[in-house]
Amino acid sequence: MNCTEAVEKLWQYLDRELDSDTVAEIERHLQECRDCFSKAEFERHLRLILRRSCGCEQAPPELRARLHRLLGMF
Amino acid sequence: MGNAANPKDEVNAEVSDRDGALAPGPDAANGRQRYERLVGEHLDGLYRVARRLTRNQATAEDLVQEAMLKAWRSFDTFREGTNARAWLHRILMNAYIDQYRRHARTPELLQDEIGDAYLSAGAREGPALSAEGNPEAHVLDRMMDDEVRESLDALPVGFRAAVVLVDVEGFSYKETAEILGVPVGTVMSRLYRGRRALKRRLAEFARDRHLVGGAQA
Repeated sequence: MNCTEAVEKLWQYLDRELDSDTVAEIERHLQECRDCFSKAEFERHLRLILRRSCGCEQAPPELRARLHRLLGMF
Repeated sequence: MGNAANPKDEVNAEVSDRDGALAPGPDAANGRQRYERLVGEHLDGLYRVARRLTRNQATAEDLVQEAMLKAWRSFDTFREGTNARAWLHRILMNAYIDQYRRHARTPELLQDEIGDAYLSAGAREGPALSAEGNPEAHVLDRMMDDEVRESLDALPVGFRAAVVLVDVEGFSYKETAEILGVPVGTVMSRLYRGRRALKRRLAEFARDRHLVGGAQA
């Protein structure tokens, strides 16, 4: 696999959407190619930041209580 | 009165209709418990998605409430063993689209052209936060949560929905396609364009805060 192919499939790889053969190929390329490796690390990091910023919000307790009350009316 | 412009009115009207219609038997009570457990388990994720779609806490809460009452009404068609989380999110997304239409705004979600216009308006070539531009990935660590959320909220809703479902909530492409009611290829293209646009917004924030140098001339 060359850089163009690796970059093209990078997101699918990070999103775990590739078959195991392609995963093995891309991982081999990432071990050999520093540029593609750092691209992959960057994208991985970006997602961690997104999860950190948006993934820890919780439903307000009032919403939980309101739903419980409304469903209790059925 | 009457025409239920406010989702809450509609929901309340339905609640009292149902309430008067039939007293719940043991099966209904059992079903309700199961349903409540299911919703309770996924409520945080549903709220997060609603929050990013509506960009407003009160509207997000109303949307979740409306969607979860709708889901309850069709819970008898839900079969045990199917993907409950995706099912609930699909109903949330449909409720969002309905709400959008009710308020007579442009159904942005359904139009990829808007996203194309957005990206071609000079932004396509703009510098983005990337491994090449900023080898120090820790620039990202210094971004405030607010800035990241604001950058995400600035995306057209179709892109935003795909990025939130896949990147934040961890849904697969296939599940996301089902939730959004579009083909997997569309999910992939929205993700691709949404992530690019997001990196560009983040680069703007990073530049404004002098976390990175200006764009190379």
